[in-house]
Amino acid sequence: MSNWHNNRHGSREAEFADFFRASWEPCLRAVVAVAGSPQLAEDQVAEAFARAWASWRKVRRHPAPRAWVVRTALNAGASWWRRRGRELPLADHDLAVPGDLDGGLDATLLTAIWRLPARQREVIALRIFLDLDTATIAGQLGIEVGTVRMHMSRGVSALRRELTPTTNLEAGQ
Amino acid sequence: MNVHDEMSDHEVLRTASGSLSALPVASPPAVDSIVARGRARRTRRLSAVAGLSMTAAAAGTALILGLTGVLGPASARAPGTIRTAAFTLVGNANGTATLTLNPGELLNPAALQSDLQSYGIPAMVTSGSICSSDPAPAGFSQVVSVSPAGQVTATPHNGIKPTITIDPSGMPAGTELSVGYFQLSSGEYSGQQQADVVLIDTGSYTCSSTPPDPNGLPAGYGPDDGIGLLYGGPGPGGS
Repeated sequence: MSNWHNNRHGSREAEFADFFRASWEPCLRAVVAVAGSPQLAEDQVAEAFARAWASWRKVRRHPAPRAWVVRTALNAGASWWRRRGRELPLADHDLAVPGDLDGGLDATLLTAIWRLPARQREVIALRIFLDLDTATIAGQLGIEVGTVRMHMSRGVSALRRELTPTTNLEAGQ
Repeated sequence: MNVHDEMSDHEVLRTASGSLSALPVASPPAVDSIVARGRARRTRRLSAVAGLSMTAAAAGTALILGLTGVLGPASARAPGTIRTAAFTLVGNANGTATLTLNPGELLNPAALQSDLQSYGIPAMVTSGSICSSDPAPAGFSQVVSVSPAGQVTATPHNGIKPTITIDPSGMPAGTELSVGYFQLSSGEYSGQQQADVVLIDTGSYTCSSTPPDPNGLPAGYGPDDGIGLLYGGPGPGGS
């Protein structure tokens, strides 16, 4: 026999705990960026981490475990999103910019992000919060690299347009 | 000055990141609650549907399968059924699950493991290694059965498709199925594939890159403690 190695349940749980603590916030923020609802996203991300633990042997070997969690969380909320149209921007009544952000650049950008088509939001969220490269994003979403670039380009262009008048206005004040 | 022209993609993303990061989000819940939730989910899955795993031939038995295809990606799914080029997996009303292998296609271990887990079947499918426990957990014969029984030659041409039925309710607590998949590169069956299915203790097992004897099982496992499948190919009985 060769290449023997040991696996212990306790060490796996400790490993998962480390992963969970380090990944909770970026995963939650990525899902919030797509879902537009921190409250809904919180429950979906918790469920996704529970599923990650239930399948930890698989997830720990995943090339991008955090992306697995985010995708699982998004899938967990698929029925919720389908009612709103996953490939469509969130409707105005879905936007939930917190009151303490009203009127500022953050609120403007959040509104702009949540008005992007869902796929553009996903691509941008995976880049921003999980720091995934284009090829990995493509693999996670099951789309071509070129399609990721297209969504990224269109999303960033839309956000840039939102930033321009705000920034100019602020510069002129 | 036109800011639009000056902001790079990186700057736009950084600004967007800042805005999203300004959103207050919840602190992580206690990891214990997540682990408990995951365990409860896994328990529900185990008590609900069925399992299976790949492979055929009661221990000490070999099924010789002629395989001429390439790895078959998952192609279609319907509620209760997973169909791929290499196998079909059906959840039965009595809680068991049935796996039917297509000798004309090679199994994709990663896809099989993923599909098993999507059914809530606790199985670890490894390529190039097999995991086993010492001592071997008892009860395998109450969990897995194979049809047709005995030594069978199943090829893409004779219509025989090995069928494995798994009853997850019979799995002893703290165990899961281990499926080891090998591409043999030496010996009598060089060029063929081998898969073995055994029960392991989830809390204590070791893995080896050495394939078990093609007509046997991992060391320490008796004839009733697992099943072995030898995939024919260009070798004897392969087609």
